[in-house]
Amino acid sequence: MTTLESLRAVRRAVSVDALSVSHGPIRAVRDVTFAAQPGEVVTLLGPSGCGKTTTLRAIAGLEFPQQGRITIDGRTVFDAGRGVNLPPEQRGLAMVFQSYAIWPHMTVFENVAFSLRARRIARAELASTVQRSLDLVGLGALGERPATRLSGGQQQRVALARSIAGDPGVILLDEPLSNLDAQLRLTMRAEFKALQRRLGLTAIYVTHDQEEALVLSDRIVVMRDGVIEQVGTPAELHQAPHSRFVAEFLGVRNILPVVGAEAGQATVVLPNGTRLTTRGPIPDGPACVCFRPISVRLSPRPEPGAHPAELVGATYLGDLMQYDLRAGDMAICARGLPRGDLTEGTPVFWSVPPEACFLVTA
Amino acid sequence: MILPRSSRPETVLALLVSGIVAVLVLPPLLAVVFAGMGAGFAPLRQPQVILNTLFFGLATTACALLIGGALALALLPGVPGRGILERLVVMPLYLTPLLTAMGWNWLASPHSGLLNLVLHAVFGPWATINAVSLGGVVLVSALALAPLPYLLISDALRAFDPALLEAGRVHGAAPNLVFRRIVLPLLLPAGLASAVLLCVQSIGLFSVPAVLGIPAGFHVATTEIFQLLENYPPQIPEATAWGVLLLGTSALLTLAQAALLRRRSFVTITGKAFRPGARIARARLARAVLAWIYVALATVLPLIALFWAASSTFVTANPKLMRFTLRHFSFVLFTYPKTWLAAGNSVVLGALTAIVVCLLGLAVSWVVLRGRGSGRGALDQLSMVPLTMPAMVFALGLLWVYVRVPLPIYGTVAILLIAYATHYLPFGVRTTSAALRQLHPELEEAARVSGASWLRTMRRITLPLIQPTVLAAWILLFVMAMQEVSSSILLYTSHSIVLSVAVFDLWENGNQSDVAALGFVQLAASFLVVTVVLGVRQRRGLA
Repeated sequence: MTTLESLRAVRRAVSVDALSVSHGPIRAVRDVTFAAQPGEVVTLLGPSGCGKTTTLRAIAGLEFPQQGRITIDGRTVFDAGRGVNLPPEQRGLAMVFQSYAIWPHMTVFENVAFSLRARRIARAELASTVQRSLDLVGLGALGERPATRLSGGQQQRVALARSIAGDPGVILLDEPLSNLDAQLRLTMRAEFKALQRRLGLTAIYVTHDQEEALVLSDRIVVMRDGVIEQVGTPAELHQAPHSRFVAEFLGVRNILPVVGAEAGQATVVLPNGTRLTTRGPIPDGPACVCFRPISVRLSPRPEPGAHPAELVGATYLGDLMQYDLRAGDMAICARGLPRGDLTEGTPVFWSVPPEACFLVTA
Repeated sequence: MILPRSSRPETVLALLVSGIVAVLVLPPLLAVVFAGMGAGFAPLRQPQVILNTLFFGLATTACALLIGGALALALLPGVPGRGILERLVVMPLYLTPLLTAMGWNWLASPHSGLLNLVLHAVFGPWATINAVSLGGVVLVSALALAPLPYLLISDALRAFDPALLEAGRVHGAAPNLVFRRIVLPLLLPAGLASAVLLCVQSIGLFSVPAVLGIPAGFHVATTEIFQLLENYPPQIPEATAWGVLLLGTSALLTLAQAALLRRRSFVTITGKAFRPGARIARARLARAVLAWIYVALATVLPLIALFWAASSTFVTANPKLMRFTLRHFSFVLFTYPKTWLAAGNSVVLGALTAIVVCLLGLAVSWVVLRGRGSGRGALDQLSMVPLTMPAMVFALGLLWVYVRVPLPIYGTVAILLIAYATHYLPFGVRTTSAALRQLHPELEEAARVSGASWLRTMRRITLPLIQPTVLAAWILLFVMAMQEVSSSILLYTSHSIVLSVAVFDLWENGNQSDVAALGFVQLAASFLVVTVVLGVRQRRGLA
């Protein structure tokens, strides 16, 4: 281990090592390993039931895992081998819950002050800390309001203020934006990102929304059926998903099965005989070729390297048009600026540059 | 119970609660079963009593179910005076079957009943209502028990998704058909639960058959048990054999209910209010009248009779002979030696029972709903066992156990507390678990992650949030425990006498007017404590 690596290992804020959690016969999380560096936002991304929330709750101490090890700031909080499982209150964390979990019998102030009182912070310091936290989320004037008289977005902000008030080493967030309407979700997403950067928070963020994950994360852990499918930066995942599942989940619209490949080159054959040149390499076993709608070039006339298809639909999306193509059994989705030379029901010719075509395991 | 390796307070609580519930429920249950088995087949020598008990149970269940179901449908939104009627129709729970039965005895005993004296004067001697009869026992029991099915069925109606009915109407069904094909089938689980509860309650009911049945020569299992123990020497084995019979019947009914409901799953709960169909809205006045008739028969008339009996020189409807007096009140308050002892015992027992049941019930529901051990289902079912055990049978088991166990419990109020706490435990568990279910677990988890220990989370988050439900449960438990007769009558001694037993005692000695006065004292004591508790709560709420 080089000096740099060992330094990183020490500075690691959260590390999860070979974690397995079962709920009765259901193995919710299997052999999950990842880590978050200080100041980093790591997102657990996946469809519902993939084990992302269970993993988060295990870090918080709200689950009883069967195997593995969890350390927070270098302190072991769970170790199945040694029978260690610290209760949540001894882990020095904060958490934002999906339901917000704002205590309805308290004021906004009391909600935020709760963790400070539990940690026996002196009264004077307590008031100023709570006020500072409320100011940070823009609720400075609402301290005395009963928690029941808050809008959804305000509750979300209180939950956030509550989690940063105790100056925790790590903040866990369980789909915090999923209960908000679309407009508010964008606002809160931006606010959270700004707050996180400003305070240098370490955060583990659970979501099923790929866009949220791409915008907020330093690193994304994609999970499926209780196991990790792929880990990477947003750019890595976006540009080079390993598997069809990750590609689908990150919103790649064109995923076509590959039936053959031309040896030596990165050219693949599609079921209807179309040959596509990709950036390679060709993975072992069954594969799919992927490209994004925006990468598809359309032309009303035959061009060298372009493939024939029929334009079956043109849909106005706002800034862009979506063009739906059909070539035999194969459907292809393209997007681009609106143009006048393409008519529904007429032949169209499409091509994708090789560097925009990537291959994934099926 | 498989427990997590770490010994957190939750784990300790789970073990402790399981232990307490097991110790409360199992020994008396096993004692009844074993002792009763050993006693041979004493009940078989009296097939008439067995038939009586079965007939009484079935007839009472049918009548009470009909009354309770009709009340629940009658009091759907739209009926005039719904708010007050909803409160009045559950009054029999507070009045108790014992006082209701006594009230009806004064109203409709064949020769001296208040109603009969009026009827005779108006129509002549052929017009007689006789409450001291088989029919009287069944109808009065049904009046007294009808609030139970009313509560269960109206709860089910409240949880009804109105869209289910609207969908029926939109798809072309007339209101009538919607009611028959959608409403009734969806009410089946609540109806079935009510029927089983009523069956168990009525075959275990002692006071009504004792007051109205014994004088008419109508004996059931509970009165048989009572008389076997009143004899000298008390015939405990024979009494226990009757207990086994009651227990077996109740257990069979409960199992049958579980088996019937397992095959179907009903999810109707969406949390919106029930909006009744047009046809139900049309018969508003008739529905109000129906509910008022029930209130009159089950509460107002017995109370009038009670007051009348307590305050007249002797029981008559003849205006010339009628003299009002406070003599009987003065007797029970100042002369009768048992009143103050019994009142003290009753209030203390009622308050303690309510506290113990609320706390234990809350602990059980928390372990079952929020805990982790795999024995949670077993704990849940164990805590529900007393529901299938008639109070008198349970008291028999307690007698058997604590006469043998070298603990200074037998003959004290402690044994009554054990009996009450166990008997009402299912009620405590059901109410608190309903409250906990409505509390999102994340509210507690948020407190834990914020650095609060388990205990602090309970104190600062869980308890304050479910406090209104717990207080309501406390009040109802207090009132119910204040009036418990069936097990108290077997377990009391001269030091541990309670008000309801004192009332029954006076009744057996034939002091009708004094009984009525003492009944009033009992009602007044409940009322006073409940008012004080509510007052204190209100003041604290304002502060």
